[in-house]
Amino acid sequence: MFATIMKMLLRRLLVAIPTLLVVAALLFVVLRLLPVDPAAMSLPPNATNDEVAAMREAMGLNRPLPVQFLIWLGQLLSGDFGMSIAFRRPVWDLVSEALPATIELAFLSMIVATVVGVAGGLLAFYFRDRTAEAAIDFSSIVVLSLPEFLWALMLMLIFGVWLQWLPFMLRLDPQFERPVITGFLLLDTLLAGRPDAFMSALRHMILPVMALGISASPAIMRVLRSSLLDTYQEDYIHQARLRGLDERRVLLRHGLKNAFLPTLSLMGVQFGFLFGGTLLVEVIFSYPGLGNLMIDAIRNVDLPVIQIVGLAYCIMVLVISTVVDMLYLVLNPKLRVR
Amino acid sequence: MSLLSVNGVSVAFANALGTFTVLDKLTFELQPGKVLGLVGESGAGKSMIGRTIAQLLPNRFHVTEGDLRFDGRDMLKTGAAEQRALLGRDIAFIPQEPLAALDPVLTIGQQIREHLDHIGRGAGRRPERDWRKVAIEALDAVHLHDPAGVLDKYPHQLSGGMCQRILIAMAFLSQPKLLIADEPTTALDVSVQARIVGLIGDMQRRHGTAVIFITHDLRLAREICDDVLVLYAGKQVEFGPASEVFERPGHPYTRALQLAIPPAAGEHRGLFTLPDRMPGLMSLKQMGGCRFAPRCPLAEARCHEVPPPDVTVGPGHRALCHKPEATPGIAPPPALEHRHRDPDAQLLFRARDVSRHYITRARLFRKPDTFPAVRSASLDLAEGEFLGIVGESGSGKSTLARLLVGLEGTSGGTMELLGRDVSGMDRGTAAFRRENVQMVFQDPQSALNPRRRVGEIVTQAMEVMNGSRADRATRAAELLQEIGLSPEMAQRYPSQMSGGQKQRVNIARALCTVPRLLIADEIVSGLDVSVQAQLLELLLHLRRERAMSIILISHDLSVVRYLCDRVLVMYRGEVVEQGEVDAVFANPQADYTRKLLAAMPGEGAPAAEKFAAEEAFA
Amino acid sequence: MPSLPLWLSNTRSLIGFTLLIFIVGAALLAPVLAPHDPNEQDLINMLLPPFWVEGSDAAFPLGTDSLGRDILSRLLYGARVAMTVAIFATLGATLLGAFLAHLAGYFGGWVDWLIGRIIDVWLSFPPVVLSLILMVGLGAGLWNVILAIVLVDWTRFCRVLRSEVMVVRRRDYVSAARLLGFSHVRTITREILPATLPLLITLMALEMGIAVVVEAILSFAGMSVGNEVPAWGQMIADARQDVYNAPSTLILPSFAVFVTVFAFNILGDGLRRSLDTRLTQTERA
Ligand SMILES: Nc1ncnc2c1ncn2[C@@H]1O[C@H](COP(=O)(O)OP(=O)(O)O)[C@@H](O)[C@H]1O
Ligand code: SF4
Ligand SMILES: [Mg+2]
Repeated sequence: MFATIMKMLLRRLLVAIPTLLVVAALLFVVLRLLPVDPAAMSLPPNATNDEVAAMREAMGLNRPLPVQFLIWLGQLLSGDFGMSIAFRRPVWDLVSEALPATIELAFLSMIVATVVGVAGGLLAFYFRDRTAEAAIDFSSIVVLSLPEFLWALMLMLIFGVWLQWLPFMLRLDPQFERPVITGFLLLDTLLAGRPDAFMSALRHMILPVMALGISASPAIMRVLRSSLLDTYQEDYIHQARLRGLDERRVLLRHGLKNAFLPTLSLMGVQFGFLFGGTLLVEVIFSYPGLGNLMIDAIRNVDLPVIQIVGLAYCIMVLVISTVVDMLYLVLNPKLRVR
Repeated sequence: MSLLSVNGVSVAFANALGTFTVLDKLTFELQPGKVLGLVGESGAGKSMIGRTIAQLLPNRFHVTEGDLRFDGRDMLKTGAAEQRALLGRDIAFIPQEPLAALDPVLTIGQQIREHLDHIGRGAGRRPERDWRKVAIEALDAVHLHDPAGVLDKYPHQLSGGMCQRILIAMAFLSQPKLLIADEPTTALDVSVQARIVGLIGDMQRRHGTAVIFITHDLRLAREICDDVLVLYAGKQVEFGPASEVFERPGHPYTRALQLAIPPAAGEHRGLFTLPDRMPGLMSLKQMGGCRFAPRCPLAEARCHEVPPPDVTVGPGHRALCHKPEATPGIAPPPALEHRHRDPDAQLLFRARDVSRHYITRARLFRKPDTFPAVRSASLDLAEGEFLGIVGESGSGKSTLARLLVGLEGTSGGTMELLGRDVSGMDRGTAAFRRENVQMVFQDPQSALNPRRRVGEIVTQAMEVMNGSRADRATRAAELLQEIGLSPEMAQRYPSQMSGGQKQRVNIARALCTVPRLLIADEIVSGLDVSVQAQLLELLLHLRRERAMSIILISHDLSVVRYLCDRVLVMYRGEVVEQGEVDAVFANPQADYTRKLLAAMPGEGAPAAEKFAAEEAFA
Repeated sequence: MPSLPLWLSNTRSLIGFTLLIFIVGAALLAPVLAPHDPNEQDLINMLLPPFWVEGSDAAFPLGTDSLGRDILSRLLYGARVAMTVAIFATLGATLLGAFLAHLAGYFGGWVDWLIGRIIDVWLSFPPVVLSLILMVGLGAGLWNVILAIVLVDWTRFCRVLRSEVMVVRRRDYVSAARLLGFSHVRTITREILPATLPLLITLMALEMGIAVVVEAILSFAGMSVGNEVPAWGQMIADARQDVYNAPSTLILPSFAVFVTVFAFNILGDGLRRSLDTRLTQTERA
């Protein structure tokens, strides 16, 4: 089992390298379509034409596009991620500050989405062929129809502005100082021995996590329900009943285990989309993650930042889909043993 | 006292259109340790009886009347929990599709352990070693190799026959009083079938278990059952000791079914073809008299009006008929006279050393792993000849067929059609082959586009030739006529037809361009014997009318024996034997052919002896 | 009662379809229905509340935003953008995705391999991120938004349809058609496409909802049709600064997005039921 998983990881790694190369090339080409001159942008506005020309030369902008790409790639590989034009700081610093925040947000949201989705799916299945099912089904479509950034705004309006139960700006109340150990705030507050700061950080995360988690859950719920329905058509379910097993055991031991497999493969895709959702949700809650960085960079046409943040999103998606595939491998003996 | 007594039990299905009776006043008894066979065409309600006893009816089905006693207990009054306690302990089930009946994500060991816990023999508290020991013993008793290893396997790693052995082992773990086996061998290969049947019989005798054996195979029922119940459209039309029922059938239906089966050995005879098919659930209400009347060769006026009485025709032998005494008068048509091949017939098709390898795993930098589905097969076929290809599933029969029609390219070897080389896959060859060779696919469900009307399907070949609408309609009518369907059927969709009708449409489509050779892949398997007999007659009719050659692929040797001039036996991708049908059947040369013949149910030795002989093979 | 076509003989489809008729009607008739020019700023009447709140002005039934623009008029004109994007982006994504899906699923082999790898690369981007980046490259404008959505979302069709094509391709009637002399093109169009069409139609309904959302996201981020054209996402973004004193400026355009997406989703769900396409497939889009 361990060997199979390692083999799969190795294969995924081998595929990930060309994928990332293509992604990087794609980013590079798309952003070169822009009618802006990166050389001029990286100089103060009062720079002379000569200075701009010198800069173009220095940045290699006069060379053919593929060469430029290779130069950029070489810089990336040597650890040089470039300078942000807008922030005048190394891109690497900006990204390494923002990345943990986004990972924390996405991770907690996935947990919420899974819990809500699986519970909803089981409930909808349990009430199959009854009026309650129609109600559950209908509300899942309603939930599905509100995209995550609108969930964020509505939750903010209700729980932040009107009821004032929860904070909805930034990550910590102002009286706390931010400890930096691993970069993951929830972890760091705990490591620093500040449970009060941890609680504050947690409270700040509730609304964004709910917005992302809830909006990702209906898809999980609906697929789980329908694959449970499919599974219950299978002979082994009937045979389990003929052996005298009770319904609860049939559902939990035989039904759910099998029906979870298609659900899991949907979750791989769904969680990739969820990273896209973090983008606007971060903006709405002024949450200092990659999304905010990305939007700032886009507003300022900060190409070096856009490129690296874009790559960062791709790497996160690749990691999550690898993790999901790995789980799938563990849970599905048909793939594991032949 | 009888173990199971069923008294006037009826089961009905209710929907928006009303209530429909699925099982009508069943009345029979089963003594401890005896084997009762339930036979009849599919849809007669055989499986429903098993589900009624388990009290696990599908949604909207319920028992409307009657009394059902198991071991002195009133089954219709026991609560759900009590019922569950009986299931798996006192009443065990063996399913039709063994591979599908085991949970794919749990190991065999986990599933056996769960069952042991349920029947109170695993008792979660006991140490791991204990249940393993019990499980290994049980698997050993069903002659599985390496039972300890099997415990850690998943179902998909095992064959259908092995899975069925596991399910049999599980069923007998609790020493049940009653075993219900629903078509336990239908999904298995002939050679495996005999062993599984033998095993069930063996276990049954050893544990003194009573068995309800559901099957549509009369020969099988005759071989293993003490009593037989014949079911037709939810009615119990005949019940009695197996020897009585099969030697002196009282009901015309039983007799007709027997005569619809091609004999596996002995004298050749014609097949009795029952017209039409069993009435569906919904139409039963309108039938006043005998439900079999529309198809019965003995039917007379009163049969259509007066429900027939349950007549005792022998000791413990009852039949539901107005005139059971006339039944023995139903005679089979005479044997076919076709078995004379024209020795001067021209050679139509020749294949030499044809093979096909599938890539099972592509490898970087290395030669891919391949699997030889067909190895060096050679055959000759004369004009007007009927050639049968037999062999177990996976032996390469279908692959060979696909190579012969050109659906797939060969990995080696040559083929000649009417003297022209057709080994290649180029356009010219394809067109030439298309004109002369057509194929009928196995599963009409998959072979007929559900979105096309029948008329369109049968004339599909004219679509590329830009046939006009009128031309196509005329041709469709001709073709439907030829295969024995009414021309109005052209307007139907496949979903509106029965299995037998679909298979006819399937054949008609291949006939549209008047091919000289028809390749028919398992076209009668999975069909009821009455429908099978109808289709076999159709093929013979085509042979007479069109002087066409047919390659008939089948796993049923008696069908090949009935229909074909020559037979070709395949085993693991190789042709192990070919020759005249009568010669091969009478005097098989290859080991595998002998084994295959021995495994046929019916006129041969009793199952138990066969089983012993079979084990030596495995 | 005259019988409805099959795909509407379902309460869900009917609800969705009716809602959509209203929305499309509003979009088409926006110039007639709108009481004001959607871009007309009225600095005297800033942040007027909607009619059900005290202090409203009958001239601005749904109130005004922080620049004094009429919310109702902006909503009506915003529907034009939303529906145009929904229809054209979906058509484009369907054509591209379905074409490649049938190619890949039918021919298999290296064609399938290549298309599969392209999809893999596309899927390693969250769609929102990819469309934002494309918009950065393409620049603002209605047709660029549509192009960006097509370039991102064709994979949704391709992925799901491809596996469906592969299922249908294995049916014997496809082999039979080839044996009867059908060319590849004819086999695909006459035998395979009719079988994949129900799934395709269902996916299209769902994709229209997705396109509306993506456009809203892009215009919320200021990367869509540009400032001079009223769009719902932009109205939502503008209203964020006024959440405390004028929540309705935020809620109304959000509600417009919600109703439109809901209409497409419920229509899609109805279609899925009446056309009998499997849930797990469409949900995976
Ligand atoms: N789940 C079900 N829903 C509706 N009809 C059913 C169902 N199962 C069986 N039937 C119907 O009940 C009748 C008896 O079926 P069955 O017991 O399976 O017959 P057999 O086992 O003899 O083939 C048939 O008409 C069949 O169509
Ligand atoms: S009652 Fe009449 S129709 Fe029915 S089986 Fe007997 S003879 Fe045939
Ligand atoms: Mg059955």
